[in-house]
Amino acid sequence: MPGAGTSPSRTALAAVRAVAPRILQFVFVVWATYTVTFLLIRILPGDPVLAALAVQSGDATTVDPEQLAALREEAGLAGSVLSQYLAQLGGLLTGDLGTSLATGRPVTQMISDVVPGSLAVAGLALVVGVTMSLLVGFLAYVSPWRWLRDLLVQLPPLGVAVPAFVTGLVLISVFSFTLGWFPASGARSPLSVVLPAVTLAFPVGAIFFQVFSAAIREAEGSAYVFTADVKGLSRLAIFGRHILRNAMLPSVTSIGLLVGFLAGGTAVVETVFSRDGIGRIVVAAVQARDVNVIQGVIIVVAVVYALAALLVDLSYPLLDPRLRTRGRVRPAPVVAGGLGAVAAPGEAPSGSAPSAGEEAPR
Amino acid sequence: MNTSPKRRIALAAGSAVALTALLAGCSAGGGSEGEGSGGTLVFAVETDPSCIDPQQPTVTQALYIGRQVVDSLVDQDPETGEIVPWLASEFSSNDDMTAFEFTLRDDVTFSDGSELTSEVVQANFDAIVEMAADGSTASLAGQYLSGYAGTEIVDDQTFRVAFDAPNAAFLQGASTMSLGLVSQATTEETPEARCQDGVIGTGPFVYDAYAPNSEVSMDRRDGYDWASGLRGHEGDAYLDRIEFAVVTEASVRVGGLQSGEFDIVGELPYADEPRIADEGYSIYAKANPGIPTSLIPNLENPVLADPAVREALRVGIDREDINATLGYAGGEAPTSALSSGTSGYTSQAGLMAYDPDAAIAALEDAGWAEGADGIREKDGQRLTFTATGFYEQEMMELIQLQLKDLGIDMQIDFTDAGGFFGAIADRSYDVLFAALTRTGPDALGVMFEQAAPSHWAVVDDAELEAILSEQAATSDEDARQELLDEAQRIIIEDGYLFPVLEVYQVHASQPEVTGFAFDSASRFHLYDVELG
Repeated sequence: MPGAGTSPSRTALAAVRAVAPRILQFVFVVWATYTVTFLLIRILPGDPVLAALAVQSGDATTVDPEQLAALREEAGLAGSVLSQYLAQLGGLLTGDLGTSLATGRPVTQMISDVVPGSLAVAGLALVVGVTMSLLVGFLAYVSPWRWLRDLLVQLPPLGVAVPAFVTGLVLISVFSFTLGWFPASGARSPLSVVLPAVTLAFPVGAIFFQVFSAAIREAEGSAYVFTADVKGLSRLAIFGRHILRNAMLPSVTSIGLLVGFLAGGTAVVETVFSRDGIGRIVVAAVQARDVNVIQGVIIVVAVVYALAALLVDLSYPLLDPRLRTRGRVRPAPVVAGGLGAVAAPGEAPSGSAPSAGEEAPR
Repeated sequence: MNTSPKRRIALAAGSAVALTALLAGCSAGGGSEGEGSGGTLVFAVETDPSCIDPQQPTVTQALYIGRQVVDSLVDQDPETGEIVPWLASEFSSNDDMTAFEFTLRDDVTFSDGSELTSEVVQANFDAIVEMAADGSTASLAGQYLSGYAGTEIVDDQTFRVAFDAPNAAFLQGASTMSLGLVSQATTEETPEARCQDGVIGTGPFVYDAYAPNSEVSMDRRDGYDWASGLRGHEGDAYLDRIEFAVVTEASVRVGGLQSGEFDIVGELPYADEPRIADEGYSIYAKANPGIPTSLIPNLENPVLADPAVREALRVGIDREDINATLGYAGGEAPTSALSSGTSGYTSQAGLMAYDPDAAIAALEDAGWAEGADGIREKDGQRLTFTATGFYEQEMMELIQLQLKDLGIDMQIDFTDAGGFFGAIADRSYDVLFAALTRTGPDALGVMFEQAAPSHWAVVDDAELEAILSEQAATSDEDARQELLDEAQRIIIEDGYLFPVLEVYQVHASQPEVTGFAFDSASRFHLYDVELG
């Protein structure tokens, strides 16, 4: 946050004005998620206390009504819906997500225990996925043959089409069981992060590639690339300086979405590779109808998602000078493609819209 | 375009190299961890134990993992059902099974160095009863201690456990890991801490670490010298270390066995068993003790209250077919209300032989005539009921198909554990579909005694009730067996329970692994295991 100085400078004020709505939006998203989750969980039929008990107690689960009532009280599931709602909201504000019904552990602790593992997989997946699609995009751009180019562009959708458990099992059978390079399960060795990350990198890379390749195509057809081409710039230079930079904006937006996808989408991969993680906790919690854990994880994922969106929003001005606030003036971001042609090829091609005709970044 | 094809090819080639390098970079590195020199056993289990204190959970994996770190007062011979000394060198009960006296060995220590004394045992039982009081945990151990009145300490090595009511299940329970003993310090911990951090036991292995959903590891205890006489050797365990890897995917467990990543895999799918056996791996299979997977009718339901309907169900289910289709290839169809491996089991095969014609005849005689859609009716009442279950949906569907041929419409309510126990709690079910795993014949009491806190079945039969409570108070083995025979006959003959399939625990190991042994609860000891 830009701290307001002794003399409130104009730029600081403007920055606050630009940032404050985003932060409000962030708070709203998290609150709305909590409210919807809370209501949805209450609508589910059945008794969450009994469901959670049955996970640990199996065929020796108690069905004594008095014991169940006492346990419900203990779990914060007694009383009116409104009082439960407010009590849990209060807990949420102080960072207390309650206690797991099935394990008796604090939800905050359960989640913080698994975050490093999930983060390692998701982070590596994002890096590998984005790098792969940048490379494929570049290869397709510089490819001398049309067929190769078409082939390369058609490859990434496979990453979304093939389910993660299939990719995961194939990778396990090749790289663990046949070659023996990586462990098939668990987190016993640092290398164990690789296969799950690669598995996740396929859909991540594919989604990223869809946006990225569309942006490349867009830029490629633009006048400023034509100009650069005519001026005799190398393909590499054009790709690096003009196409890549202009393709950045939509791509960064999609990374924001991918972070959200990764925060909640690791369940299948963690199950296939037998790793502990956010996704695994959710699966177990849903099976046990462990309401506090389900709610806690959803809120954490919502926070990550909203935070990613916030950061993406805030990063636009860094990526695109036109979006920087100069004093109070915000230039209209929609610029006709023709204007781009005027931009000198040597400079940053900031004069062109990220993709003409597309919705302007807000 | 202006770029020369040559240049383009060079660029393409360059980036292809980069892409390959990226992939190679990902995949470079050493192999998976190899076998330790003297023996780390890697055991792949299907489910996260969720709690590694053997006294608290009922999850099978938690029980067999916990079994390795705790010892019990007594042991039970899985072949004969005989109770033999373990940590208690002597034990006896009074005639009506309300008091049990034990004398402990005097050389037993916990892995924290403290000694095993009568006070520690008392603290264990008191803690279990306290944990089980609110119904949130230790429910299995709590059932073995049902009616617990207290532990009276006679001296350091001698104590007496007293009950308010006869408890024939206690001695058998004392042989299980659920009543396995933990140190005084552990009994003072909270249940959650015991679940997460583990317990201090007297067993041949000592917990090292527990990473939920991932791994439990334990190291050998040096100086272990109090193995039960049922084990294959004395002194320290052979293995240096055991790592239980939680591997939920069955195909990964099987593949990991074949690739050598795992030494033993638990919960081998029945379908994979013949192939894995053919490839030379060792297979270990044992039926769960207790009540097989069964249909349990609610006799307050008007349709199921009709004895003819229950007779049709008794002989109208093709158990051989179900066993062949969905069961363990080496297993047998169930032949009584107790599974064949349970002490006290008596075959009722004659009453349960598959005979669809007899089933149809019974229904016809009782006036259940076939309706327009093939489902029988009587006085406007359709022959329909709903089975509530939360696992083995395919098996429920197979039964549904079989019953349809008899003109019986069995609807399936496939729910989760919470829904299942909710139906038991408010007695709202027509038929339950489940198994009940217990070490001994007291499973019958848990299931049928209407006074039992956990009772599942809704049956009003004073004779059965009397027999079940009498057997719990009978210390004479032969007399108790007679009562159990009678109870099993009544339960099957009167159609209070329709056994469907015996549930087998099936595990597989590398061919050179030796010493794997099931205990009487179809869990196991890894104390004698050697990697070979």
